[in-house]
Amino acid sequence: MPEEEQPKRRPDASMSLLADLFAEDALDPGYARAATTNRPTRRGVGAVGVFAMLALAGLLVAVAGLQVRRHEPAAVKERQRLIAEIHDRTAQTDELQRRMEAVRAQTERARTAALARSAAGQRARQDLARVADAAAATERTGRGITVTVDDGRPAGDDMGGTDLGRVYDQDLQILVNGLWEAGAVAIGVNGQRLTSTTAIRAAGDAILVDYRPLTPPYKVTALGGDGLRDAFAASAAEQHFRTLRDQFGMRFDVHKEHAARLPAAVALRLHYAQEATHR
Amino acid sequence: MIPLIGLVIGVGLGFVLHPTVPLWLQPYLPIAIVAALDAMFGGLRAKLEGIFDDRVFVVSFVSNTIVAALIVFLGDQLGVGSQLSTGVVVVLGIRIFSNVAAIRRRLFRA
Repeated sequence: MPEEEQPKRRPDASMSLLADLFAEDALDPGYARAATTNRPTRRGVGAVGVFAMLALAGLLVAVAGLQVRRHEPAAVKERQRLIAEIHDRTAQTDELQRRMEAVRAQTERARTAALARSAAGQRARQDLARVADAAAATERTGRGITVTVDDGRPAGDDMGGTDLGRVYDQDLQILVNGLWEAGAVAIGVNGQRLTSTTAIRAAGDAILVDYRPLTPPYKVTALGGDGLRDAFAASAAEQHFRTLRDQFGMRFDVHKEHAARLPAAVALRLHYAQEATHR
Repeated sequence: MIPLIGLVIGVGLGFVLHPTVPLWLQPYLPIAIVAALDAMFGGLRAKLEGIFDDRVFVVSFVSNTIVAALIVFLGDQLGVGSQLSTGVVVVLGIRIFSNVAAIRRRLFRA
């Protein structure tokens, strides 16, 4: 062994950082050397230096403590401000939403009045009502069912907390498609109306419907005739969710609703029609 | 006794003067404190072992603090940010621990 042949100096002596640290000589080697050189007590730096250094150390500690304490309220304040701003903006959005609904109702009335004058207008109004209904542009009430799904318990800590019991966007897609298939005429997720082009997607941990994040539990309300519950019970979607419930403890409840109300879809955009710029 | 008075006076000064730390200096403060603590415990241990030396203490205190600050600065410039400071804290922390353990052994013989 080379170490035994030359025990004085190992080749990695300058790099044995951790070995030095764990050995007993964590003390600055300078002290030992100063003690062994045994020079006459030269008071070059002396007690004054030690005093100054320790005063400096105390100052540092005190300043750091004060710094932390001073910053804490600032962080809290910042957080409060952000929360207040969130509430503020949400209230603003709600207000705008209400105004939009009011304006939309006004437009609706004006249009109805305008179209009621002629026979062609009457026909157009009926067409419009039918199309608007299909496009989820109008509020809708009626009988239906509400399906509530929620994440299951994380599957045990011994498994490393797998996410198998979570509701994914695909699950909601299967559920919604199953409800359409079962004959639903209008569907809303957590009070948000679905149109034929509404996307149900995932972004990170959240499920987005029409690019708005949902918070669990997910309540899917579907309006339809009396047969809706039975038709859904026989569908593949219900089978899918029964399996999920039994295997992963996911929540899955179906309730009949006697008078459910679904709002009009919020973001209706015109895809093909264009505004007439000149007559 | 004198070093203890110095420490107390330093803390008192900090509380009385209430100095504001400039923003560019703030990242260096915690690491400088850890380095200072390391030098302090090293000095205390040397004192207990009877080999304390003023010059070694002052030089190790100053150089420890400066090197720690430099490492933080270097980490910032290299873009590894806090990782290098973590390294400094780990190394100095181990040293503080073993020095404190030596002090404890000397004081309590356990």
